[in-house]
Amino acid sequence: MSPKIHSPEGRIGEAGAALASSPEVLAGLRIAVLDNGKPGARLLMETLAEQLAERSGAQLAGVFLKGSAATPCEEALLAELVERAELIVTGTAD
Amino acid sequence: MDEWIEIDDDSPEALLAHFTAKGWGDGLPLVPPTAERVAAMLRADAGDDAPDEVVAVLPPRHGQATRRAIAVNAVLAGCEPGLLPVVTSVVRALARPELNLNGVNATTHPVAPLVIVHGEAVEQLGFNAGLGTFGPGNRANASVGRAVRFVLLHIAGARPGDGDASTQGQPSKYTYCIAENEPASPWESYSQSCGVTSASAVTVHCGENPHNFHDMESDAPGAILDKAASVMATLGSNNAPVSSAEFFVVLGPEHAATIAGAGWSRRDVQSYLYERARLPARHLREAFDIVQVRPWLRALADDVPMPITDHPDNIRLLVAGGAGKHSCIIPSWGMTKSVTLPVEP
Repeated sequence: MSPKIHSPEGRIGEAGAALASSPEVLAGLRIAVLDNGKPGARLLMETLAEQLAERSGAQLAGVFLKGSAATPCEEALLAELVERAELIVTGTAD
Repeated sequence: MDEWIEIDDDSPEALLAHFTAKGWGDGLPLVPPTAERVAAMLRADAGDDAPDEVVAVLPPRHGQATRRAIAVNAVLAGCEPGLLPVVTSVVRALARPELNLNGVNATTHPVAPLVIVHGEAVEQLGFNAGLGTFGPGNRANASVGRAVRFVLLHIAGARPGDGDASTQGQPSKYTYCIAENEPASPWESYSQSCGVTSASAVTVHCGENPHNFHDMESDAPGAILDKAASVMATLGSNNAPVSSAEFFVVLGPEHAATIAGAGWSRRDVQSYLYERARLPARHLREAFDIVQVRPWLRALADDVPMPITDHPDNIRLLVAGGAGKHSCIIPSWGMTKSVTLPVEP
C-alpha cells in the first residue's frame, strides 16, 4: 500500500471576485482605464482602450488613477467608475 | 476536513519528487507530514481539539490556514512540535490588513516576511538571537522561517509566477527568522515598546534582505548611526519614489552598547536617523518621473533634504546578533506595516 501524507495546501476559503461578463457589443459604450500608477501599465492600457474604442465605436471615458498599485482600488473611485463607464481596462504590475 | 495524498514510497527522494511534480515545496528535502507527525505537532498546540479551526484565510489563493494545515507545513519544514504556536502566531500576523499580504505576494519587489521572535520563547524554544542570528545552523530559526514560507507557498498560493510576481526573488524567501537579543539590549524589548506585554511575541516585517553596515572604530553614537543613515537613504529603496514606510534597524550588541552608553534612548536613535537619512529633493526629482511619496514630501524645495521616511516612528530599532561591529538595515517593501502579536496557541 502506498504511504499517505497530509496535503500541504488546505482548502480554499472564499471565492475570489469574478469578472463581470463582457458586453457583446462595445459600440456606444464608454471605456475607462483604471491606472495603477505604473508608467508601463498606463501606456499599455491607454493604448488598448484607444484601439478598442477606435475599432468598436465606443467612447473613451478617461483615465482614473488609484492610490497605489499595491493596494485595492478605493471604494469611492470604484463607484465613480461604475457611474462613468461600462467597460474598465485595468491590470496589475507594469 | 482531512485531505490526503499518496506517495510512491516514504523515501526522501520520493517525497521530494512528488512535491516537485506538484509545484510544491522550496526545492529542498522535506519531512513527510504523516498522520503521526502532524498529530504530534497539533498536540503541542491547542490544535488537537479543533484541527479544522481556520486561523486565517490567506491571499492570493484565499487558502484556509487551519490549525492542521499550518501543522502540516510546520512538519514539512522540520519544526519541532513546540514551535507550532510561534508559526501560528505569525500566520495571524500575516492576515492583518495593515500588513497587506495580497500586495506583498503580488508585487515585483523581492519582499519577504521577516519573523522576529521576542521574549521567553527565544530561550525556551531554542532560537538563536546571538552570533549569526540571520544565518544557518539553528533549527528553530531555520524551520520557523521555512514553515512560514511553506504556508505562503502552499496555503496562500504565493508560488513564483502565478502567486508571487517577484522579479528576482531573494534568498530570504527560503527562510527569514531571527530572535531579538534582549539580554544584550540596553533598551526595553522591542515587543514591549510596541505595547505587547505578553511573555513571548512575534513581529512580522515585510522587507528586503538585510543591508549590512559596519563601523569598527567609532566610540560615538552619531558616527555609527551615520553609516546606518547612509544605507537607508539610497535611490534604490522603494521609499525613495513610492512610499514612506518602515525601516528595521537591527543593531549588533556592540554598536547598541556604544550608543546607549552615551545616554541615547531608542527614541534618540529614531530621531537622529530621521534627521540624517535624507536625500536632496532635487536628486529624487532627477531620478524619477513618478514620485508617490507623501504630498508634503513632494512639496519640498529642490535643495531641502527629504527624509527617506516620513516619521521617526517608522524607524524600528532592536538588538540582535553577537560579537562584532556589524549591524544592518532592513528596508520595507513599502505598502505594508509591520505587526507585533503575542505568541499564542
